[in-house]
Amino acid sequence: MPTIEIEGRQLEVNEEGFLLHPEQWTEETAKLLAKAEEGLDELTAEHWAVVKFIRDYYLEKNLAPMVRKMCQATGFPLMKIYDLFPSGPAKGACKVAGLPKPDGCV
Amino acid sequence: MKRRKTGPSGVVAAPLDAHTQVLAKETGLPSVKDGRLRTYEPGDNVARFLDLLGKRISRPLAVSMTACVHCGLCAESCHYFLARPDDPTMTPVWKADQIRKIFKRHIDWTGRIAPWWVKAGSLHDDEDLNRLKNIVFGSCSACRRCTYNCPMGVDTGLLVRFARGVLTELGIVPEGVFNVSRDQWETGNQMAVSEQDYLETLEWMRDEVGAELGDDTVEIPVDKPDCEILYTINPREIKFDPRSIAHAAKIFHLVGESWTMPKWGWDQTNFGLFSGDDKLGAFVARNVYEAAERLRAKRIVISECGHGYRSTRWEGYTWADYEQTRPTESVVITLKRYLEEGRIAVNPARNAEPVTFHDSCNIARSGDIVEEPREVLRRVCADFREMYPNRRENFCCTGGGGLLSMAEYRPLRLEVGKLKADQLRATGAKLVCTMCHNCVDGLSDIIKHYKLPLRVVQVLELVANALVVRGASGT
Repeated sequence: MPTIEIEGRQLEVNEEGFLLHPEQWTEETAKLLAKAEEGLDELTAEHWAVVKFIRDYYLEKNLAPMVRKMCQATGFPLMKIYDLFPSGPAKGACKVAGLPKPDGCV
Repeated sequence: MKRRKTGPSGVVAAPLDAHTQVLAKETGLPSVKDGRLRTYEPGDNVARFLDLLGKRISRPLAVSMTACVHCGLCAESCHYFLARPDDPTMTPVWKADQIRKIFKRHIDWTGRIAPWWVKAGSLHDDEDLNRLKNIVFGSCSACRRCTYNCPMGVDTGLLVRFARGVLTELGIVPEGVFNVSRDQWETGNQMAVSEQDYLETLEWMRDEVGAELGDDTVEIPVDKPDCEILYTINPREIKFDPRSIAHAAKIFHLVGESWTMPKWGWDQTNFGLFSGDDKLGAFVARNVYEAAERLRAKRIVISECGHGYRSTRWEGYTWADYEQTRPTESVVITLKRYLEEGRIAVNPARNAEPVTFHDSCNIARSGDIVEEPREVLRRVCADFREMYPNRRENFCCTGGGGLLSMAEYRPLRLEVGKLKADQLRATGAKLVCTMCHNCVDGLSDIIKHYKLPLRVVQVLELVANALVVRGASGT
């Protein structure tokens, strides 16, 4: 199983770079995933707004939120999500928020 | 040809993992309780496999089981083998032989009399079944390029789907396929989108298009009877990427189309095609057909999705044993008609970047839509260029056959994607257009992995981008 290293800790990710154990996520993990998977050198307040919403939603419902919910919660228009996360809401934003890979054609 | 050394692919030896199935059983899901989805039970699976093999064998399958002369043309067609030319387990003939030898040993008279002569063989335990699972799910994207090139008419794609179906019946399936099948059985759509979320997203997109056009009469009608078009989509359009719904709504609004989306039966995708489970295939396809019947729609239109198109337009009528009384078409055909009839005006200069087109396996080889998207692209793009090979000979995006939802086979998938990467790079295009959501993700993975300077788009996006809205400023 592939791993990424952060602060001397090894984190297991699946073959697509999604965290294998979502409970291991921290804000530092998010920064690392953003750099490794999305090429983002730093996460702005706007990135964090999306990431934190996804994280909270996931912890509450054990489910990735729909992009509709992301936009409602943050007030961003749809295209803004794609500007912030080049790989889109599922493979970009959800991955940085430390969710497991969503099921289905994504 | 200089051949580089390749190590073992690692796919065949991947271990059997049944934890999602165990969880589904513990949770007591209706689809599991009703026996629509089987969960893995160690034990007498081999006997049941052989029993199902005997019961399900059909004439086309028997032909594909016996007609192979081992000429090797399929090997030269397969992107797995072309990318790993030292690895005989990557050839379609080897993969098919793993199914064929069981048929020969247990069904065909030649193997029962002289098993050593025809290389007949059997399965012994659950590990053998797991190995077969890894071969038919993990080392084949069911793109059917080998089938298209077989001089004997052997349909390896059919054999692979057949073997997948029997394994699914036993509950020996990759986790991703099990999860998506579960969601499709339980909720009627593959991403478990609730009705409320579905309706809210449609309203949201209606408002977005209305705001963009400055027109408050824009509608995305739901369950409206007696329309010309029943528009069905891929659940990922609702859950993660509703831009394509907005594009379609905008175009339908501008041509004054009479259209609706159904409240139930809106998912045109079908994991029955990937898992080989005809019962799931029938259930999902029937939902769409019955929605059209209930709403008395004249025509079913399928958004840009390869396997959804093949399932809903072609295979679904057989699985569901449903009489096809109304035309069923891809939205690209609808767009082509609008352009030909002059119902939309476009300016190709709006899509100035060079665009190439990727033929999806389930659209071109298995769906018979080849020239139509090209005619549309030539009208809406300034610089359209072919990639080679193309049309029915195109290579798979590497994500076909449901492979996108099976993360465990991804390393091999990306490795053999080298072929696709070379093909894309050679076009010099900035955009690669495809009419399949699966290909969007498959190609995006390749582009990211091989660091190609390309972006994936779909036909709807390019057409929407080129639209000249009459009366609007700046046109």
